[in-house]
Amino acid sequence: MALPILLTKGLIILVIFGISLLIATYSTYAERKVAAFLQDRIGPNRAGPWGLLQPIADAGKLFFKEDFIPSQASKWLFILGPSLAMFTALMSSAVIPFGDSIRFAWDNVNYDVNVQGIEINIGVLYIFGVVSLGVYGVMVGGWASNNKFSLLGAIRAASQNISYEIALGLSMIAILMMTGSLSVRQIVNEQATFFEWNVFTQPLGFIIFLTCSFAECNRTPFDLPECETELVGGYHTEYSSMKLGLYLFSEYINMFVSSAFISALYFGGFHYPFMNEVNGALEKSMGAVTGHNLATAIGFLVFFGKILFFIFFFMWVRWTLPRFRYDQLMNLGWKIFIPLSILNVVVTGAGLLYDFKYSSWLIVVVMTVLAVMSQAKAPKQQVVPQRTV
Amino acid sequence: MTEFLAFFKTLTPTGYLFLLLTALTVISAMGVVTARNPIYSVLALIATFFCLSGHYILLNAQFLAAVNIIVYAGAIMVLFLFTIMFLNLRREDEEAKTNLTKIASVIVGGTLMVMLIMIFRAKSSQLPVGSTVGFEPNTGMVENLGHLLYGSYILPFELASVLFLIAMVGAVMLGKREAGDRHF
Amino acid sequence: MFPIVLLSVFAVVLLFLGFLKSRSVLLPATLLFLVAALVANFLDWNKTYLYFNSMLRTDNLSMVFTAIVLLSSFLVVALSGSFEDDEAAQPAEYYAIILFSLVGAIMMIGYENLVMLFVGVEILSVAMYILTGSDKRNLRSNEAALKYFLMGAFATGIMLFGMALLYGASGSFTLAGIASYASHAQQGLSLIFYVGLLMLLVGLLFKVSAAPFHFWTPDVYDGAPTIFTAYMSTVVKTAGFAALLHLLAASFTYVYSFWGIILAVVTAITLIAGNVTAVYQNSFKRMMAYSSISHAGYLLIGLAALSAQSRQAIVFYSLAYSIATISAFGVLMLVTRQRGMQTLSSNPLSNESFDAFNGLAKQNPLLGLAMATSMLSLAGIPLTAGFWGKFYMFSTAVERGQIWLLVVAVLMSAVGIYYYFRVIIAMYFRDGATEPIRISPVFRYVLVAAIILTIGLGVAPGLLQGLF
Repeated sequence: MALPILLTKGLIILVIFGISLLIATYSTYAERKVAAFLQDRIGPNRAGPWGLLQPIADAGKLFFKEDFIPSQASKWLFILGPSLAMFTALMSSAVIPFGDSIRFAWDNVNYDVNVQGIEINIGVLYIFGVVSLGVYGVMVGGWASNNKFSLLGAIRAASQNISYEIALGLSMIAILMMTGSLSVRQIVNEQATFFEWNVFTQPLGFIIFLTCSFAECNRTPFDLPECETELVGGYHTEYSSMKLGLYLFSEYINMFVSSAFISALYFGGFHYPFMNEVNGALEKSMGAVTGHNLATAIGFLVFFGKILFFIFFFMWVRWTLPRFRYDQLMNLGWKIFIPLSILNVVVTGAGLLYDFKYSSWLIVVVMTVLAVMSQAKAPKQQVVPQRTV
Repeated sequence: MTEFLAFFKTLTPTGYLFLLLTALTVISAMGVVTARNPIYSVLALIATFFCLSGHYILLNAQFLAAVNIIVYAGAIMVLFLFTIMFLNLRREDEEAKTNLTKIASVIVGGTLMVMLIMIFRAKSSQLPVGSTVGFEPNTGMVENLGHLLYGSYILPFELASVLFLIAMVGAVMLGKREAGDRHF
Repeated sequence: MFPIVLLSVFAVVLLFLGFLKSRSVLLPATLLFLVAALVANFLDWNKTYLYFNSMLRTDNLSMVFTAIVLLSSFLVVALSGSFEDDEAAQPAEYYAIILFSLVGAIMMIGYENLVMLFVGVEILSVAMYILTGSDKRNLRSNEAALKYFLMGAFATGIMLFGMALLYGASGSFTLAGIASYASHAQQGLSLIFYVGLLMLLVGLLFKVSAAPFHFWTPDVYDGAPTIFTAYMSTVVKTAGFAALLHLLAASFTYVYSFWGIILAVVTAITLIAGNVTAVYQNSFKRMMAYSSISHAGYLLIGLAALSAQSRQAIVFYSLAYSIATISAFGVLMLVTRQRGMQTLSSNPLSNESFDAFNGLAKQNPLLGLAMATSMLSLAGIPLTAGFWGKFYMFSTAVERGQIWLLVVAVLMSAVGIYYYFRVIIAMYFRDGATEPIRISPVFRYVLVAAIILTIGLGVAPGLLQGLF
């Protein structure tokens, strides 16, 4: 591999790493601002203009707090827990294609370098594997704290992650069947035309995937591992200082990666309508190298727009929906999502047999009809006139 | 010693990586059996699986590597850890092993080791030596694996579903709460 | 192939039949399914097929073994009527697991590829772990299931390791490929080939409970519900020996000098360990467990000798052994239940002892006769099927010239007569307070059929000879 390619690749990896950290940092700020907006408050506005320096102030606070390790805790595992959580969270962005490719000329040869950490032909499996490892940070930390509430939180996290991973994987399988590839870039490139975005061909899969990623990120309404009404602080009850900070931070990175993954798998990644026309016009007017790079930059921005929307969506849901009860969570995962996603795989496969991509809508339509019918059949709520005494 | 050094000089970077991974695998596998605390044991086992996945990647079997991580490290070991945490085996109970059993196991294990070493030293010329000539680097790729699984191995592959179904039926049957059982 | 497809489908159907309120459908449905599979099995009679890129083979030998397995499970299922009364039992699941496990057994009988053997062994073993632990409230059943599972998992691991080594040596998973590699035995084979073969043998010998690997057998057979003990000791053993026979005959005849002596020693140890320990048992069920180990030893004689006659001998012996064992366990089930109701003691240990059979024949001549026939057959007394089974086995050993093994086997069958006759003596010559036991019609038919088959094969052993 030529040196310039290696250098560009290294640069891209550094940039992706930096951007994920930056977005995670500012997600904390955004979370508070969104919460404030939804609750008709102002939110952080003291540190810097519009409170923009708030995350840095938070980080400073976390760093200077007392770093406390409980006396009966197993020390190494107590430290390993947050490190693992952060490690797995940062690993997963490696295979997401953030943009098309950067082109540059070297010795009169045009090189194209993908805007992506690494392109492997099992990208989806890689992400799936890393996500399934994410639970170790929570489990190890929760157990090492030597606290009943922490342990319960850890155990909840483990069972929740395992339960929802199955539906998550099954809903992805439908996409893999349509694309015929495990590479995320390939999946993105298959969605070049707007109406072939997987969200249109796989509406049910999208809903299941979205919900399961909420559960995998331990976000409300599925944040039972840290349910403060039952478990004090859940798995991080005993944590303080930057160790707590790492846990919180990894949650935001996970959110960023999930959003990126949802955008890539279901919303066409860096594709946008009329992209080919725009690319063609740019390359014609500005030359093959500059035009191509500019087009890539537009795609990159579009992709980040999608990601930011989903991060906002995560927050929107958090401040709108109440938390599930634990048995409801399990019922939803095992009795509704898994059968539904298996049905989705079957129907998608049957549709592909006859070259029809939109067969998944059949389930959506049938489910909607059933829901409407059961609503119509349900006894109307009677308005009982108040009896006056 | 010089022989040893010369051997090291002949290695490619992949060779160094292989040696490193192998050493890590063996160390973490030893950790599994020597750790007193079962939690450490499980964590060491997870590390072992990671190293094995590294070996798979060195063999260019990416699919196998990813599936190994997903299935073993990501699902099975989580359940292991889950169960051990529930059992709460924190008091590092020394198992009831008399000195006699310890001595006996050392003798048996030692004899086996000596025998194995002797056999391999005597017959090492008969060990097959891998050659890179016939090696097809794409064998482990997911496409080839898929063709193999759905082609010549379709029957065992499909019948493995009977195995899973049987395990599933059994798990539900044994795990189902009966009337009058406690809710733990 | 047909039985595999049919049984897989039928088992799923049975699971759905479990939704029905009435449980009385399940037993006849299962019997019907088994008969259908048995009929479908013989559709290919006198033809040899290789299915799916030589994964599975059907020829007359495999069909006969499949028929034996299906017949045994038919008899076992027919004896399982008591599930209908037991509130905690889940018969739909039991029958479905039995049908599924038969898929594994048939794979073990007809495999042409080690992958198929592995999947088959796993299907059968996992089913057995579950059935062993199916009596959830019984601690002994739980213990047996756990023991069986842990040891079985290790045995499967060793077997799989052996397969991997064989693949590493020969570069092939198919029996034909391994055989063609082994045919170069004169030029010296790779060391890992022998290690692999040895590990594969260890795994399979564990499954058929041959001697140094038999320690799980008594506890598991004792702890499991009797009906599943009957299933385990017949179907698993038949399938396991079919698998071993096919493996050794198809792939490893060239290296007979290596494994022949090992198997002969294993046979001798199995015979001695099984028979001698069985003498000291007070529980009938435990005695049957050790007796099953000793019968594994007799069956191993045919393997260790591996001559032209071995196939017939193993087929005949496994049929005779299966029928006798099933009818013995059937009688035991009736007696145990009766004793449990009489003495109101739920202690299964006393209900399954030899004393439970005291005076049985006076009030229940049919039960006495069935038990006596099966005991005589297991002991190898002339005019029963067991005699001819032993006769064929011993003649294979003579053919190969393994006289020392023959001496051990004959001595051990003399020991066997002692403990089998203890039951007969208890039934006919001791006094006991037994009342007539109510026998359901299905039970009666099964027992009568078992008696007829045992004596019929004992009088005219040529009936089965002509089959293949």
